[in-house]
Order: sequence, then structure tokens, then C-alpha cells
Amino acid sequence: MVQLPKVNDLGFFEIRLESIGGLGANLAGKMLAEAGVVGVGLNGVSFSSYGSEKKGSPVKAHIRFCSPDTRIRDTSPVERPHIVGVFHEALAKTVNVISGIHEDSLVLVNSANPPAELKQSLNMLAGTLAVVDATGIALEEKNRVNMAMLGALFRLCAFLDPEPMKAVIRKSLEKKYPLAVEPALRTFQRGYEGLRVEAFPLPAGAQMPAYVRQDTPVLGYETQPIGGTITNPGNSILKNLSISRAGMLPHFAEDKCIHCAACDNVCPDFCFVWEEQEDKKGRPQMFLQGIDYQYCKGCLKCVKACPTDALSGEREVDGYADARRVPHRFDLAPS
Amino acid sequence: MAIDWKHENGPGLVEQRIVYESGNEMAAYAAHQINYHIMGYFPISPSTEVAQFLDLMKANGQHDIVLIPADGEHGSAGVCYGASTAGGRVFNATSANGYLYMLEQMPVQSGTRFPMVMNLVCRSVSGPLDIHGDHSDLYYALNTGWPILMCRDPQAVYDMNIMALKLAEDSEVRLPVLVASDGYFTSHQKRKVQTFAKREDVQRFVGERPPVGFPDTLDRNNPVTVGPYMNEPDYINNCYQQSMAMYRAEPVYDRIRKEYAALTGRDYPILDLYRMEDAEVAVFLMNSASEIIKDVVDQLRAQGVKAGSIAPNLIRPFPARQIAEALRNVKAVTVGDRADSYGGHGGNMVNEIKAALFTHGCTGPLVISRIYGLGGKDFYAEDGHALFRFAIEAAASGTVARPFDYHGHTPGDPAKAPKRVLNPMKYEDLNTGLIKVTPDEQGGPLKVRVPPLRALTKKPKRIAPGHGACPGCGIFSGLELFFKGIEGDIVALFHTGCAMVVTTGYPYSAHKATYIHNLFQNGAATLSGVVEMFWERKRRGELDHLQLPDDFTFVMITGDGGMDIGMGPAIGAALRNHKMIILEYDNEGYMNTGAQLSYSTPLGHRTSTSNVGQANGGKLFHHKDTAQIMAATHIPYVFTGSEAFPQDLVRKAAKAQWYAQHEGLVYGKILITCPLNWLSEDEEGTSIVSAAVDCCFFPLYEVERGITAITYNPEEKNKKIAVGEWLASMGKTRHMNKPEFADALASFGQEVDRRWNALKARHENPYL
Repeated sequence: MVQLPKVNDLGFFEIRLESIGGLGANLAGKMLAEAGVVGVGLNGVSFSSYGSEKKGSPVKAHIRFCSPDTRIRDTSPVERPHIVGVFHEALAKTVNVISGIHEDSLVLVNSANPPAELKQSLNMLAGTLAVVDATGIALEEKNRVNMAMLGALFRLCAFLDPEPMKAVIRKSLEKKYPLAVEPALRTFQRGYEGLRVEAFPLPAGAQMPAYVRQDTPVLGYETQPIGGTITNPGNSILKNLSISRAGMLPHFAEDKCIHCAACDNVCPDFCFVWEEQEDKKGRPQMFLQGIDYQYCKGCLKCVKACPTDALSGEREVDGYADARRVPHRFDLAPS
Repeated sequence: MAIDWKHENGPGLVEQRIVYESGNEMAAYAAHQINYHIMGYFPISPSTEVAQFLDLMKANGQHDIVLIPADGEHGSAGVCYGASTAGGRVFNATSANGYLYMLEQMPVQSGTRFPMVMNLVCRSVSGPLDIHGDHSDLYYALNTGWPILMCRDPQAVYDMNIMALKLAEDSEVRLPVLVASDGYFTSHQKRKVQTFAKREDVQRFVGERPPVGFPDTLDRNNPVTVGPYMNEPDYINNCYQQSMAMYRAEPVYDRIRKEYAALTGRDYPILDLYRMEDAEVAVFLMNSASEIIKDVVDQLRAQGVKAGSIAPNLIRPFPARQIAEALRNVKAVTVGDRADSYGGHGGNMVNEIKAALFTHGCTGPLVISRIYGLGGKDFYAEDGHALFRFAIEAAASGTVARPFDYHGHTPGDPAKAPKRVLNPMKYEDLNTGLIKVTPDEQGGPLKVRVPPLRALTKKPKRIAPGHGACPGCGIFSGLELFFKGIEGDIVALFHTGCAMVVTTGYPYSAHKATYIHNLFQNGAATLSGVVEMFWERKRRGELDHLQLPDDFTFVMITGDGGMDIGMGPAIGAALRNHKMIILEYDNEGYMNTGAQLSYSTPLGHRTSTSNVGQANGGKLFHHKDTAQIMAATHIPYVFTGSEAFPQDLVRKAAKAQWYAQHEGLVYGKILITCPLNWLSEDEEGTSIVSAAVDCCFFPLYEVERGITAITYNPEEKNKKIAVGEWLASMGKTRHMNKPEFADALASFGQEVDRRWNALKARHENPYL
């Protein structure tokens, strides 16, 4: 019988996956859990966060493993993970993805950046960072991010056996998508092998931060208006949806723009910023100023709609959206 | 996924195996082993998956259950009731508002004594909408006359589903039975579950066929009258029979669960007592939380506290005597209710437990009532410790400091109280004057002048960015394009659906103008009320002080699902001809709950309740023609539109506004892409709906004062394509171009052509 590397008071080894909808973290969590329960005979439980979350919104998957004779009674989310798997690096901008880690927890991040840099961007005091460029591998292999992340997770869960998992991948794909089998297996294997690991010990005298329960609200019974009525509607403009982009974004070339508004007509996220200016004949006319990337989810419908080359779909590189963002000119209430 | 470890089998007699599945999967699994005759269902989270799993198994030929997608839960309960009078076995699953929508059917089912089994996957019944697990729907079931079995984990969901049918059909009982499990906590968490390995063993246990000798509406030799008009001298006696049957359900259940335990090794005594033998303090909880509390009991016992927990495996009939006996020597008990009975000084369980203690002369235990876990708020072990602390303190002091309170509520930080973020939109910005609508003096079609769409980017969007829709969602581009044609102020009402959920995730709202959400089906009625209140308050001069620059344009937004369940209220509002617009965004399915089929889903299309497998090829019947149904109510204006034809849609919006301000109700339908569930590329959204128009599946037309005009004819523009070309652009329909689905493709193509030709005839002839 396999041995779990460590367990909490109730006998659980706990894993939390942090992702956005659409990257396949939920499926990866299911496959990982089944590999433990079905593959190597552990007992376990797995579930995801459910709600109004859509594709592109933050989601979590939770997995608990324990010995076969341990009773599983807990249904609460994983708050003190032994492993965190971060499928989408940008998430850390708006979500505390490492909430509740122990000083010896493993934090797996899909990133091309070095561990020391990630320690900063994750605001991580101590713990072991494992980094895999899952997006890069997936792009090269023309496969999915979750396959590379799954490979890396298997590496970190040394008590699991990757061979049966590969058989499952092969079996689930070979009938319908025979050409996808080898890329998927290569992606998995490259994730398994492509880890860079660095441990950051807890500084002397320091303490790991306490976790904040995932069900802690911002408002309360003394501050929220009765009946659930929202008295400051339009406040969704405060949200940052740039984390919803999964790799692509539109570029705007003003010199090629004919200001036809075809982009504006099809944009689901109201990202195009317009201003009234005088045209060549001195008449007032609307001119497209640019894109408010804070809300752009990277669907690229605008690129398709654009009759010229003013809009193009490009791989997102760090810092581009912040530098080129043209913010909406909202009529803000006095604060 | 099955795990075939024989050594993991319990001490039971029957061959078993282990699977790793969720509560919903186990409800479906049990139902497929039983092989019910009929399931009438309607999607609602979190129970919808039960129908989805059954449909998937059906597509693969694994059972014979006839799955009937109803028009709403009221309809699904009606389907089930009718089917149960006709002698076969009937199954259903629902949650929350869906359960309340079918509530009036429940006492009829029990009062006329037709057995069936329904899973209630418990979820909050609420306004503000909360879709997560609590027991507020379950508490409505307490007075319906259905025995109620409780499931603490996916294993219990499986076991109780099998025992429930036997209990329902027992000659001493003859009542419909409810099987209650916790939404998400149990319905969506995967666990190891032991099942009967062979379906025959399940059927042997429940009986291969339903017992005979009871009224059956299909027995022509024994005609019966079901559901007579029964007045006061007799009705009380019917109730007494029902009451007796309900109480008999307890010993019958006790007998069935022993038979089941002998067969499987898994026993569900009436009460699940954990370390209660010598307990001095106890906590009473139901379902998933009653498992977590056992870990807390173990921890307290390790500290020397004599703690124990009680959870019922059935709550109707209520095991009053057993609970009183279990608590006889306890000093204090905290009862956690996962739903409030507002004003009742405790939830339903605590008050029934107090009554049980009183009735059975058990006056020793102090009782503390706490409401917890509402709307799916998680129950952590630390919450369990808090509940025990109340009991421990009461036991020590001999008094209960606070007999009733909530646990887990928070006051909030005054510094973070909501503050207005945006100023209200300025009327002059919304009323651009760029769009001109002029009535025709002879009563012909309105004349509309629309500027280049570039000019309309000046008009503020009604919906703010920052909503949480999927990338490439067609709803919001479609809605805002429509709103570009609307001048001045609107009041919007949204039906339940993606557009509502992603724009109003508390404490955020993306609606800059005033917005209302009520229910999934009742928007047209609700907005009728708002509209008439506007006109009446205006007439009485009560709005004068607001100095409204203009009358509002009232717009109801619904998905195609909302026009299924809400068809009745929509037709009612149309027949009353209120001055309002109903705008439907049609994405061909119930996308918010996970892509189940709607009546607007076309034939052959794959959804999560119209799967494609060797026994089934997607949806089995043709799409609903909602525009023609609404046109038949003779409202002043009906139109269809698409973001792929923006000028056309903006013109129709302008007309819609004129009619909704001057004559009465307008209905419009826009076809929009759902890349997530159409399995299509995000960026292709506009071209896919364009192809839907060009293949004449979704013709662009209007019916103005009863006269039909096609506003874009792909044949005349030489743009007509075959339906197969449109279908090839979506993953959900790619199978339809394969040879094995040629019949479905041909049938779909013929139906599209037939409707298109009929439309052309109407276009030619003003009397059609």
C-alpha cells in the first residue's frame, strides 16, 4: 500500500488547484483524484467550486487523499493545502492563490518565470516553489495546459503512478482523436520532467500567515442594504477581468482604423473607448481611442469583425496590456 | 469509474463493486439499475445532473427510462403524476425554486396515493438568488405528505434511492417518497461508493415489476375516477388514511432497511447515533454536516468531553420517540437548522425536537437552537466546535444563555459599506436624437432613420464592463447592439439565466440603469406590474417631483429557457398588451445550468440532455418557433435579429421602442452564440449566427401590426447556404454531417425549408 508523504490531523493529504474556467483544472483534479483512489487504492474525495463562475472566471478544485480505512466526513474546501497547483499565473493579481499553505507546502505554478521572481509575485513567505512552463509546452505540442500541469502534479505526488494515467489518456483519446494521443502523452511527460524546484525556508522568527476562510464576505448584516438590493450599480467597473485572458489579446493599430464601429458592435465586454472629435471637415465625429484591457477577455471577436488590419490577435506578453490600456472615461461619483 | 476489488465488499450477501462517483451520479445510477418507466424533469441546479447522467446512459443504450423534458417543474411534476396514475414506475429530481414551483402537485400526488420517487437535491430557496445547498426547500416538503429519506453522502444517495421505491410501493404505505441530499456538498463531491454489481439483484430487491392491485388508469376492465371533487364530510377521512399510511411508513422503512443491511452490509437505522451511549452534550444536524460533526465528536472525546451526535435517516414520519429516547440522559443539545422558520424561534427541526421531548416526558435536556450554513455557507469543523460550545456552556451553567440565534453571520466593516461608484447616466446622453421614428399617416410600417453605427458609439452602454460572462459570449454584444437603437431611459427586467447571473454577482452589478430580477419564469408578469404601476403613479401625479424627462421604455430580457418555463406569463402579458418589450436572447439551450436542451434547441443538436451515442443522435424533436407563437397573440410588433446584421437590428430596436411606448407589447428574438456550449471558437461567434441566417434557419423578419416582412433575404442576395454548412461550424452539431445522421440532417433541412417557405408566403401576402 502506498504511503502519503504527510497528512493533517484528520489523516488527509490535501491539494488545491487554482485556475480560471476553461483551462481544464477541474478535469485535471478529477483525473488526479481517480489516479489516487482507483489507481493506487487510496481513499479520497474531490470537488470543485461551483456557482455563477463561467469560463475565464477564477475556479478552485479540491482533492483529499487518505489511507483506505480513513473515514471521509469533511466536505469543506481545502484551506491548508499540502500542494497548490496554480494553472494561471495572472490569477495571483486578484486571488490569494497560496492562502493557507504550510512552510513546507509545494506550490506548483504554470509560468516561464524563475522561482525567485514568483516568490515575489505570489507574496510567498516560505514554501517550495515548483515551476513548469505548461503554457509553453502546450503551445509547442499543440495540446492542453492541463495535461502538462497534470504531469507536473504527478511528479509532485510521488505516491501516484504515472503509467496507469498515461494508459487512461491513451484510452480516452485513441478512438476519437488518434492523432492527439502522442501530443497529449508528450505534454504530460514534459510536464512531469520539466519542473524547476526551489525551496524557500521560513525566515527565523517569522510565522506563516493565517488563512482567511473562503466564505468570508466583504459586506455584513450591518452594512448591506436590506433585501439584497445593490445601491451602487455599475460597480462592476471596479473588477479586473484581465485574468480571464488565456494567452491571446487584440492589438490596436490606430493608423489603420476607419472608425466603423464593427468591433464595438460585437464586443461582449465593452472594451472599446471612443471620443468625439472634429473630423477633417470640422464636424463632430466619433473616433476610436483604443482598448480598455482591464475588461478584455481575449475572445478576439473584434479582430474577426474588423474590416481592416487595425485589430490583430496576438500572444499576450507581460506588461503589454498595462502599457497600452486606454481606460474608459467613466462618469465617477464623488467619493 | 468502477473499482473491482472484491476484498472491499462488505459482509453482505449480494455481489457488489465500488465506484468513485458523486451524489447526483449515484441517484442516476440507482435509477438506471431500477430501470424506471418514466422520468419527467426540468433543469435546475444542483439536481440537473441526474437527468444529464441518465440521458448519457440512455444515449449509450444502458436503460429504457423514457426521459421527458418538461416545460417547467410544474410541468415535470404533472408528467410524473400522470405517469404514476398509469401504473408504471416514476422518477424525478429537483431543487429549490423548482421544488416550490411544483409544490402544489406534491399533496395531490400523496393525497391521491400514487407512489413515485423524487430526489430533492437540497438548495436554498431565496430572493436574492442563491443556488447553493441549504434545507429551505426541504422544509417546505415537511407538510406535503411524502415520507422523506435523508442522505448524508453519495453512498446514502444510492442506498436510499433503492430503498425509497420499495417503501413507496409497499401496500401499507402507497405514498410518493422524497430522497433528500445536500446540493453540491453531496451532489457534486466524488466519493467511493459501493453498488450492487448486477441490475437483476437491484430489481429482485425492489420487485421486478410494480405491485398490482392498485388503481391503474390503463386498466380498461376496471375503470376508475382519479381525483374527484371531495367536500368536507369526506376529505378529513382521506387525510386520516394518509396520516395512518405515513406513520406506518416508519415500521415499513425499518423492515426494509434491515433487509437491505442483510443484503449489502450497509445499515441505515432510523437515527444515526454517534457516540451517544453516555453522551452529556450533543449536536443534532442533518445530512452532510452530520458527518463533519462526527470528527468534532472524536476530537472532543479525546479531550475528555462526553460528546455525541444525532442525525435522522428519515424525517417524515418524524422519529419523535427515538429522538426523545436518545436525548433522555443528555444535559444539553444544540440543534442546527440549515433553514430558518422566520419568527418561529427556531428552525423546523428544533421545534419538532422540543415537541418530541415534551411529548415523551423527557424534560431534562437543555435545547439550544442555531441557524447555520444558509445558502451553502460551508460548515467547517470549527463551526461544529462552536455548536458544541453552546451545549457545553449550557450543561455547565444549567441555563441556556441564548435559546435561539444564527451562527456564521457577520456584521461587516462600516468602512467597506457600499458607496456609489458611477453617477447616473445623463438623459441627454441617452437621448441622442440620432434615431428618428415617424409613423406612417396611412397606418403603414413605421419610417425609421438610423445613423451610421459609428455615431451611436456616443451613446453610453446600459451595461457596464466588468461582468463575468465567458469570453466571446454573444449575449452582451447582442443586447447592447439592441440598446443602441433605444433612446432615453429604460427599466430592465432579466429572467434567471446567464445574463442575470454574470451581471449581478453580489456585491457587484453591471447594470447602470435600474434592473430587476424575479424568477426564471415570471418576468413578463412582473414587468407588467412595474409598467402599470408607472402609468398609474404618473396619472396620480406621484412621479411629478421626479421631473422625469420622458416615459421609460420597459424591457424584459430572457433566454430561450425563460421563454419555455415562462411561456404562459409571456403570452398573458402579450394578450393584455402592456407597453413593454420582451427581448429573447436565444442560445438554443439552458446554458446557465450546463447546456441542457430547451425547446429552441434544433433537432439533432447535442446538449447535456440530448447526448449523441449509439442509441441516440441529439435532440429528438424540432425547434420551437417562438416568434410565430408570439405573433399569434396579435401584438403590434414582433421581430427577429442578429448582431451579424447590425443596422437591421438597430432599426428594429427603434421600432420596438416606438410600439412599446405608443401601442403595446413587442416581442423580439435575437440568435446569439454560446461558444462554451456550442463547442465553437470564441472569435467565430458573429460568423456562426450569420451562417444561421444565411441558411434560413433563423430568418430576419418582422411582423408589424400583423403584416410580415422579411428584412433580409439571403436568396435574393445570393448568399443562401445549406444548413449543413452552418452545422459544420459548431462542435455540438458536427456529427450531423456524418452519414449515420443523414436522416436527421434531411429532416432538419426540410423543416427549415418548410418554415422559410411559409414565411415567404406571409411576406408576399399581408393577409397571411
